[in-house]
Amino acid sequence: MRHTMKMTLAALASLALVPAAVTAHTVKAPFPGTITALTYYPSGGYHGAIDVSSGRCNYWGAETAVVGSVHWNVTINTSGVVCNGNGYENANMAVHTWADGWKFHQKHFIKTSDSYDRTCDRCQVGNEGGTGQATGPHAHLMQEKNGTKDTSWYSGYTTRGEAVDRSETLGVLD
Amino acid sequence: MTRTPSFSTRPLLLALTLCALLPGVAAAQVVAPGPALEGERCSVQGLMDSIRQGLESNSAAYKKYMRTLLREAAVTLPDSELRAAFERETDPVMSEHLAAALVARTERGADPEAIKAVAKRAIEERDPALRAAAVRSMRRTSALESTDGAYEKLVRDASPEVRQEAAQNIVEDIQEVYAGYHGPASDAAVSAATASTDPKVTAKILGNMNTQMISAESAGKIQSLLRSEDAEVRKAAALALGGVPAEQMASARQSVLAMYRDEQDAGVRKALLQSIAQLGFIGAIPELQRLRSTDPSLAPEIDAWIRVLGLDLQEWNLILREKQRMQQVP
Repeated sequence: MRHTMKMTLAALASLALVPAAVTAHTVKAPFPGTITALTYYPSGGYHGAIDVSSGRCNYWGAETAVVGSVHWNVTINTSGVVCNGNGYENANMAVHTWADGWKFHQKHFIKTSDSYDRTCDRCQVGNEGGTGQATGPHAHLMQEKNGTKDTSWYSGYTTRGEAVDRSETLGVLD
Repeated sequence: MTRTPSFSTRPLLLALTLCALLPGVAAAQVVAPGPALEGERCSVQGLMDSIRQGLESNSAAYKKYMRTLLREAAVTLPDSELRAAFERETDPVMSEHLAAALVARTERGADPEAIKAVAKRAIEERDPALRAAAVRSMRRTSALESTDGAYEKLVRDASPEVRQEAAQNIVEDIQEVYAGYHGPASDAAVSAATASTDPKVTAKILGNMNTQMISAESAGKIQSLLRSEDAEVRKAAALALGGVPAEQMASARQSVLAMYRDEQDAGVRKALLQSIAQLGFIGAIPELQRLRSTDPSLAPEIDAWIRVLGLDLQEWNLILREKQRMQQVP
């Protein structure tokens, strides 16, 4: 009994040592459009992220979706205007790495003069496009760590087919 | 947002039912004439008036709403009006709100220069309360990168409050904006820490920052602080050196090992042991065993580190947590 209590106290103590939760970050739509895929594609295949599309290629101003200032590592693999995909490795993307190693990815945009590493709050990093593995212009919003995708951050916040604008909350990262 | 409410609706329905049973209150709610609604344009002055009214509210949520409203509206507000309002404002609370709106314009990509106006006032304003307010408005933003080294001046401010606010900004920026993954921001933080002549400021920054992306030059600056006269600074420098990038680990390890033998302060020695453990993981065990005889009073601490490192955990956070757990439950 004493041993059990000790173990319980140890467990509680270790819980107390878990670092305090960092500030939650809301995720908004990067441009006005429609949610076209969530955890699963309409076809049934696994996706594990949010796809937003306005259907308009090179549509002005794809904003970083996270609310609050964070640093974005912007990688440009395609310089031209690509609307319908040009291979997985050619996606343009903006990535923010959180302190716990999870990464938030925003992919497929078309390069503009705003496409560079930057620290900002919902700033533009390109235009809506289809660079990388894509069948049409859209933004792919994904949270992952070492290949494991987190789908909980948007669960219950949005649904496939929902029309969204830049003020629409798509999920919360915490 | 289409999130389905997760709370039970029963208590709400019950409350509504009970409200209906209180005729006086219910009737008053129905018949009392509300204020006439008037359309108004979004303006700096209008928002300032709303904020001044909001500040008198007892509701923290309402105050937060007003702060958010001003920051969100900042992108569309007339820049010249906003700047002029900020320049003439002498109430620290209102000044902080207006400064935050200007900072938001930079953070949202609307005006790269707006944050510099705030940093300029944070440095040049005569009233220390207004300087501190301006510094607070730059918290969790790109200020480390976008204010041309303002923090090296702010950490030397004549007012201790301003210096502490600047240190708090740097700590939160590195943690929340950059998560320690952006080298230039980390280097700016180290430069500010070493530029400060206030040991509390230096210790606060270095003792709480992630150094995984700092340059060799920054690592050298931190190593030089191991010789500081202030024990808190030496302790913070030792902890900061524990997390340096792989290419600076050998040099950092040599510095902390050499310092351990000459250091007299027990708290600093404990920080040095932690640094040695972080720099070597399981490979640090032989070095720690050799240090056991240097200070017998710290032998239990060294043994604790050896026990934890022997588990061969692969992440520093797990090692640190296990060490703390063992100390609480031997």
